[in-house]
Amino acid sequence: MIEVKNISQSYVKGGHVKTLDDVSLTVREKTVTALVGANGAGKSTLLGAMSNVVQTMSGQVLLDGVDVRKIKTSEVAKKIAFLKQIQQISIRITVNDLVEFGRFPHCGGRLKDIDKQKVNEALDYMMIGDLRDRFLDQLSGGQRQRAFIAMILAQDTPYIFLDEPLNNLDIKYSVEMMKIVKKLVTELDKTIVVVLHDINFASAYAGHIVAMKDGKILSEGYPDKMITKEVLNPTFDHDFHIIDHDGKRVCLFFDHNQ
Amino acid sequence: MAESVNRKQLNRRMIIVFVVLAVLMVGSITLYIFSRTYFNAWRLNIPMTPLAFERIMGRTIPAVVGMVSASVIIALVSLSFQTITQSRILTPSMIGFDSVFIGTQTLLVFAFGTFTPFFQSPIYNFFVTSGAMVAISLLMFGSILRRSKNNIIFLLMFGLVLSGIVSNGARYIQALMSHYDFYQVQAATAVTVMNMNTDVIRVAVPIIIIVVVLLLINHRTYDVMSLGAEQATSLGVNYQRQMTYTLILVSIGMSVSTAMIGSLTFLGLLVVNAARELIKTHRHLPLFICSAAVGIITLVLGSAAEQLLSGGIPIPFIGTTLQVAIPLTTIINLVGCTYVFYLILKENRI
Ligand SMILES: Nc1ncnc2c1ncn2[C@@H]1O[C@H](COP(=O)(O)OP(=O)(O)O)[C@@H](O)[C@H]1O
Ligand SMILES: [Mg+2]
Repeated sequence: MIEVKNISQSYVKGGHVKTLDDVSLTVREKTVTALVGANGAGKSTLLGAMSNVVQTMSGQVLLDGVDVRKIKTSEVAKKIAFLKQIQQISIRITVNDLVEFGRFPHCGGRLKDIDKQKVNEALDYMMIGDLRDRFLDQLSGGQRQRAFIAMILAQDTPYIFLDEPLNNLDIKYSVEMMKIVKKLVTELDKTIVVVLHDINFASAYAGHIVAMKDGKILSEGYPDKMITKEVLNPTFDHDFHIIDHDGKRVCLFFDHNQ
Repeated sequence: MAESVNRKQLNRRMIIVFVVLAVLMVGSITLYIFSRTYFNAWRLNIPMTPLAFERIMGRTIPAVVGMVSASVIIALVSLSFQTITQSRILTPSMIGFDSVFIGTQTLLVFAFGTFTPFFQSPIYNFFVTSGAMVAISLLMFGSILRRSKNNIIFLLMFGLVLSGIVSNGARYIQALMSHYDFYQVQAATAVTVMNMNTDVIRVAVPIIIIVVVLLLINHRTYDVMSLGAEQATSLGVNYQRQMTYTLILVSIGMSVSTAMIGSLTFLGLLVVNAARELIKTHRHLPLFICSAAVGIITLVLGSAAEQLLSGGIPIPFIGTTLQVAIPLTTIINLVGCTYVFYLILKENRI
């Protein structure tokens, strides 16, 4: 179980501009939770804090009741896998080597049979087994993204936090990626928090939506409750138009009548 | 599949590179020993008796040990420094270890005189100067890299200003000294590859071996760290602790090698990048070994060449000799400087 308790973060001296302002959240187990909000709302910072990658000024993140800062980094990495928003790496490596990094928390880089097996499983799950010896710079955006998710899968953690995994993906790959994310919950019992830019993806694939604005959580709940004018308009400072389509709600960003 | 052939080719290439480097390493050490013994005897027209050979070897072996250990430590600290700062151009030597070295020696003489054991005894002197260098560099790295994570520009500027202040301060103090003290300081700070501080080798080498081992055993962690701070943390690396650990080792390694063979500002940059080009891998273990080997070859072969050319090159038919006296350090710095320019232009960043 992961509970966020009253975390605040500020990058400004004196702390009068808060990136996170007293945020508390209990992550739903075995659910896809979508984190939505405008640019600069603090989504990445919250996800980073939940993964113990960002050190916050106050508050705590509890992993099974224990403050993550009191747990060894390598132990946290066996429970929580985090993929940051933009994956730019300076080294030239193959898909296989990247995915093997996912085993680092378990084997310290000395891969045993079980680790190799997990790497193979992750590659198969993401359907990139045939790309394993390619270098990352020889891949398309979608393939690259899947390689990074494969690394996260190889890490074999119950919690997976993804920051805008649909970045740079076209529609087909985005849908594929969200289907995989959903499968991870239904098939492998993972708990996933994913930052999404497109509310319709959240509406279609998430079981829980958290809306953030100016470092605060404005509201959270089931998609039916969240994909409404009352919730979305203040979150994004925008006038949405919402329609029903086969029982799922769809958001229109612009109104043709105007 | 084309790609996996690609990878096998890279592995085969790595093996070939290592074999060639090993041969070159043995060859250059042999050549260096030859240049100081038989070649010198031939040039000076004296017979090389076993006794003379033994005596010369007594001075040559420590020089080889000094060069080898300095190359290894410079290569290793440069690569690990580049990994933790996420830069391919910056090396720890670029922030002015030589000026800190000269500054410490000058201050020692000025404060205590040349007859203090801190200055006279090579061992004391070594510990005091390297201690001072470790302290100063740790202070620098620590304050800069801690606060603003990878602010390389700031680090460079700080180093530039610091070495400017220290070397100008040292020059000012030297101007206040007596002639005798001044020449003592000059002699003490003129350590180079050819004029090595052989007295300290016995203390420096064990320290270097420890630092080398402590860096090598972490090679897998450095592999992960090259993914960047955030991704490495989420893969279980305590980045801050690993960074502090590395900076301490870098400071010790740089200080000890500077006190032993002087500063070789661009050697680290050259060998690390040469290793990257040669074996094209991101893994630190082969990169560590390859860059150390390239460093050994560069220093030892360069010293052998300097030794062989020190008598001038005889020009056939004319009957004169062409005098060449280009210190090895100058050549390394010249090549290194050019290479830095090339890298900055190519990568368009620092
Ligand atoms: N490391 C940092 N240093 C300074 N400011 C930061 C840092 N990280 C985030 N911020 C600021 O905090 C705010 C929220 O950022 P972020 O969490 O990335 O928002 P989001 O992911 O919702 O777009 C932004 O205004 C950003 O400029
Ligand atoms: Mg973000």
